[in-house]
Amino acid sequence: MDWLFEQTATLSKIFFYLVQTIHLTILITIVSYVIALALGLTFGVARIWPNKLVRVVAATYVNTLRGIPLLVLIFFIYFGLGKIIDLERFWAGVIAVGICYGAYLAEVFRAGILAIEHGQHEAALSLGMTRWQTLRHVILPQSVRIVVPPAANEFIACLKDSSLVSIIGLRELTRAGREYASDTFLDFQTWLVVGLLYLIMTLTLTRFVHYLEKKVAVAGYGAQKNAG
Amino acid sequence: MLVETRDLVCRFGDIIAVDGVSIAVDKGEVVVIIGPSGSGKSTLLRCLNALEEIHSGEITIDGIKIDKHHHHIHEVRLEVGMVFQHFHLFPHLTVLENVNLAQIVVRKRSFAKATETSRELLSKVGLADKIDVYPAQLSGGQKQRVAIARALAMNPKVMLFDEATSALDPEMVGEVLAVMKELAHSGMTMLVVTHEISFAREVADRVLFLDNGKLVESGSPEELLVNPRHPRLREFLSRVL
Repeated sequence: MDWLFEQTATLSKIFFYLVQTIHLTILITIVSYVIALALGLTFGVARIWPNKLVRVVAATYVNTLRGIPLLVLIFFIYFGLGKIIDLERFWAGVIAVGICYGAYLAEVFRAGILAIEHGQHEAALSLGMTRWQTLRHVILPQSVRIVVPPAANEFIACLKDSSLVSIIGLRELTRAGREYASDTFLDFQTWLVVGLLYLIMTLTLTRFVHYLEKKVAVAGYGAQKNAG
Repeated sequence: MLVETRDLVCRFGDIIAVDGVSIAVDKGEVVVIIGPSGSGKSTLLRCLNALEEIHSGEITIDGIKIDKHHHHIHEVRLEVGMVFQHFHLFPHLTVLENVNLAQIVVRKRSFAKATETSRELLSKVGLADKIDVYPAQLSGGQKQRVAIARALAMNPKVMLFDEATSALDPEMVGEVLAVMKELAHSGMTMLVVTHEISFAREVADRVLFLDNGKLVESGSPEELLVNPRHPRLREFLSRVL
């Protein structure tokens, strides 16, 4: 009984200590993801733009960034580019995660745009809309509904991958956990709590995504997507 | 001439969909285009709105020329309204928003002005009570009437109808044809691709018969539908009538 009590006390102590560092994990995730969204939307649209040069540039970005491990990218930006320009750890970290997830999101957006029936483009163009107006007012608002679930998946993956920036000394959850474990030798308990904290965040997000999916749905729209 | 094509050729790879068609349509004329499927009638219509690329020849609409480099397509599309077989309403917008959108975005009308125009047109097509409904909640015939109102809201000089009733249940064909007839009587210039021979007979000023991408015969409905000269047209009519 004493053992159980002791362990519980230790775990909760670690929990309340480490929970103080999740704000940095959350901040890194959100800033990275905002960068990723901006890049993803831009390059996702660029991949299907009529101009071939634009398409080639976008495809190169996506294929290059998808093909490099995020960890290598973090090292390259922090240590490599760090030799040339003065980059804070935080910005090096979020830029690395941001451009990596930007490539993933570009594919998500591209698929979301291509999923919209071609007739929607034609209807908008026949009303005199420009390609940009068509995208802005007709295609993207419909793509959002398709893109929400996979984009939310990427957000959850992004949250987990934010742990990689611990390697360049950003004291987010994983880094704090590593320091705590090596100070106290309580490796088992510490990593258990770190895992639990990530799980709490991802499960909360999953709940939120379900709510979001319901919110962006339009009455009767899902049932008759093609007959509109 | 409001709409004119000269030696228009449109091809998809090796397939020649429209093969040297020259037509001229006057203001206020209602021209019905008939022909077997694959005869190029829809492609011809889509060329007039620059939805298909022109291989050679030229199109002039209200004095604006479309060539194969697709210059001026934007100006042309402003003058040309189009109604599609599958409606293509914007499913994420209400009926009113569907009709409003291009007026606000393209014609730069104020929301109030656009809404006024939309309401007027929607009540003309008999859908005043459906203004705040989403397309998915409408029947096919209702959707197509919204699509007609949406195109008319841009004040086009020409209206193109690409098999506007082909995707409808039989009992809904009448309500859409009625709207089209009213529009024809109001003096709108119309090019109508249809299988509804009775519509051609009643409303058309002129009927064009296309076969294999070529304009085979053209003339008044009496000439073409009652006394067809060309054997291909006779064969076609014997099958559809």
